Amino acid sequence: MAYYHKKCDSYFVEFHEDQEKRYREELREHDRRQKWQTQLAIAEDLSQLTSCEYRDDVLQHMEMMEGKTLPDVASIDIQTEIKWFMRPYLVDFLIEAHTAFGLLPETLFLTINLLDRYCSRRIVYKKHYQLVGCSALLIAAKYGDRKDRVPTIKELKQMCCGLYEDDMFTQMEWHVLQTLDWIIGHPTIDSFLQMALDNVAYDPEVEHMACYISEIAMFQRDFVSKRPSDMARSSLALARCILSRPQSLSTEWAAKYDSDTLFTLSKQLLRPSKVLHDKYQAAHLSRVSIILEDVLARQASTSRCYGNAPPTPPSEKCSEGFGNFSRNEAPVTPTKPSNLVPSINNGCPTPPITPTHDEYFNVNQNPFKTNQNPGLGGIRRPPTPGSLPPFQQQAVPFSLPPISQMAPIY
Amino acid sequence: MDFSRGTPCATNINPEPLNHRPSHNTLKRQVTDQLVAPRDVLNYERPIKKLKSGQLLASQGMDKRHPSSFQQLEKLGEGTYATVFKGRNRQTGELVALKEIHLDSEEGTPSTAIREISLMKELKHDNIVSLHDVIHTENKLMLVFEYMDKDLKKYMDSRGSGGQLDYITIKSFMHQLLQGIAFCHENRVLHRDLKPQNLLINNKGQLKLADFGLARAFGIPVNTFSNEVVTLWYRAPDVLLGSRTYNTSIDIWSAGCIMAEMYTGRPLFPGTTNEDQLQKIFRIMGTPSERSWPGISQFPEYKSSFHVYATQDLRIFLPQIDQVGLDLISRMLQLRPEMRVGALEALSHIWFRDLPQLRQQQAQQAQQIQMGGQGSMMMGGSSGGGYGVPVYQ
Repeated sequence: MAYYHKKCDSYFVEFHEDQEKRYREELREHDRRQKWQTQLAIAEDLSQLTSCEYRDDVLQHMEMMEGKTLPDVASIDIQTEIKWFMRPYLVDFLIEAHTAFGLLPETLFLTINLLDRYCSRRIVYKKHYQLVGCSALLIAAKYGDRKDRVPTIKELKQMCCGLYEDDMFTQMEWHVLQTLDWIIGHPTIDSFLQMALDNVAYDPEVEHMACYISEIAMFQRDFVSKRPSDMARSSLALARCILSRPQSLSTEWAAKYDSDTLFTLSKQLLRPSKVLHDKYQAAHLSRVSIILEDVLARQASTSRCYGNAPPTPPSEKCSEGFGNFSRNEAPVTPTKPSNLVPSINNGCPTPPITPTHDEYFNVNQNPFKTNQNPGLGGIRRPPTPGSLPPFQQQAVPFSLPPISQMAPIY
Repeated sequence: MDFSRGTPCATNINPEPLNHRPSHNTLKRQVTDQLVAPRDVLNYERPIKKLKSGQLLASQGMDKRHPSSFQQLEKLGEGTYATVFKGRNRQTGELVALKEIHLDSEEGTPSTAIREISLMKELKHDNIVSLHDVIHTENKLMLVFEYMDKDLKKYMDSRGSGGQLDYITIKSFMHQLLQGIAFCHENRVLHRDLKPQNLLINNKGQLKLADFGLARAFGIPVNTFSNEVVTLWYRAPDVLLGSRTYNTSIDIWSAGCIMAEMYTGRPLFPGTTNEDQLQKIFRIMGTPSERSWPGISQFPEYKSSFHVYATQDLRIFLPQIDQVGLDLISRMLQLRPEMRVGALEALSHIWFRDLPQLRQQQAQQAQQIQMGGQGSMMMGGSSGGGYGVPVYQ
């Protein structure tokens, strides 16, 4: 009896304490949340003030800087080893790394910009492509992210499955910095997007959809040399179109989008990379990849009902929003011969696992032949094992800390 | 130049025989060899475009980029992550400041260096110290800056009179400081570490912002940042209260503190800890309440137990200040960030209206002095002397 009593007693006491503790914790949590809300409100006021005072100057500076920091597609075209079809694999890898480290959204855009700018200036070996990508990610994170989020070289090395030694990362980092003349302050699509959305009511769906669209565009050669401001406006307009939201007033900066860019963008939405699709399935990104899928599916079925030949669903969608597209014949000829990019479409759905030997082998014969250095392209040979792309070893899943679920505070 | 000496392309691109898997070590060596020396890199990974290649090669001229092209003179100071030396360009004899950053092999180039260099490349202005070059050696990074004679702290100490500066100097320095800040803000850069030690003065009486190690680009809307910024004495109250969303007003508070310090020769709020700093500020500016600052109780570091002080007249602490100057400084030292004046607005304050006139008078005086003793103001001479009367430009 005493035994029971004793146990019961202590149990009761503990329970009581627990309850109180939990209650106190809840209070504290509530308090914290409230403080956070107030902080947000204060931040909004401050933003508005900064916006009033500096918006025009900052925008002007950003537009100047974007011109200075554009990659040059034509230079990347004449790369001898790396080819456009390899890029989506690397971009997929970088997106996964970026998500795994929980970095700021703009860091991803900056990474890709640094990568492409480096590739516009230097010949890059296939076996170094991933190293350049990692160094770009490292620099971008150091530039914009909180110190404790910046990946360590050890982590990056692990991510590349030990393909590169520690000192290679530091050397490549240095080489990228020097090649780019230390000009890292590239205004990203994301920063223009933020600016465009600054004075409108907060609508996370639109914001995330626009981000998703511009990240889909990140995979495509067509957009590499496009100005980020242009990309931001077009992505935003397209996102609003997809979500049936009203467009910006014609007087606003955001309304000055380029309809050609918008149209080309709308044609890319059908087959996004799986990695990207998965990323935007997350709740904190409003699950926009699923929303987009639904919208496209609905459109496809409507157009089937009308019995018309296969119009690209997104352009059909746009025709609802914008009269000027309605008369466009479906596939408008791209500016560059389309046979340059077909394998991008082949590659997209299956990354990050890499092309097999066969694919590499075949590539030597077909679409890229025209584009290759004549000294090399003609020779049909299996690639030397040593120069196989690093992606080969990437089938091993990442052994990194889990992606932080919610990261509203950077 | 390197093109002509380069080994033929084909051997470089495919150095391994077909179907031969090189051992890991050979591969590694081969790869690192390609990455190590810039000279080698130019052979292997050479610039693609013929047009651009010249430009690239020129910017990497080895003679200019070698640390030995500078003679290292005395140590000027030690920063948080770097040591600054005075240096002399061996070729031109020009004096420079050499900021040496130790490179950690573990993490590569420090983020502070990446931010500082890339931001300074964007900020070319008369009131911002200019970055001439970046030199990289095996274990250190050397930034070559234009040489400035002193920082504001040393300048004030060297002026006798307990560090106090005269009216015209204060006005001129404040104007230049605000011009530098305005330029940063217009180019979406927050300095985040303004203090007398980071403001450099040359013997022409020019003031320039330096040390952008804590600076960063901001966007619109403003993001959340670390609140571990700015030396305690010059840290804005909202940041002390734990705010992580601050904007350009953070630099304005520091500028206000610096202005007061130029009048008295002593820091206005010399706190020892975060809490002490807040108390020192409240003792003069008055303790804010929900009424004077709605939302203040929501700040993370706010305590209802703050000692309540009444607002004091700043004139008690700055007896030398004139009425108009007092108006300007009190606009800068507003507790609430949203009430603080912007740099551009501050520049158009009437206090600065008579500055051109004052400068002209000063220049005339200086000319007279120069007629008397020429040469003492020459650059490259002894850095100690030659301060005399500054010529305001």
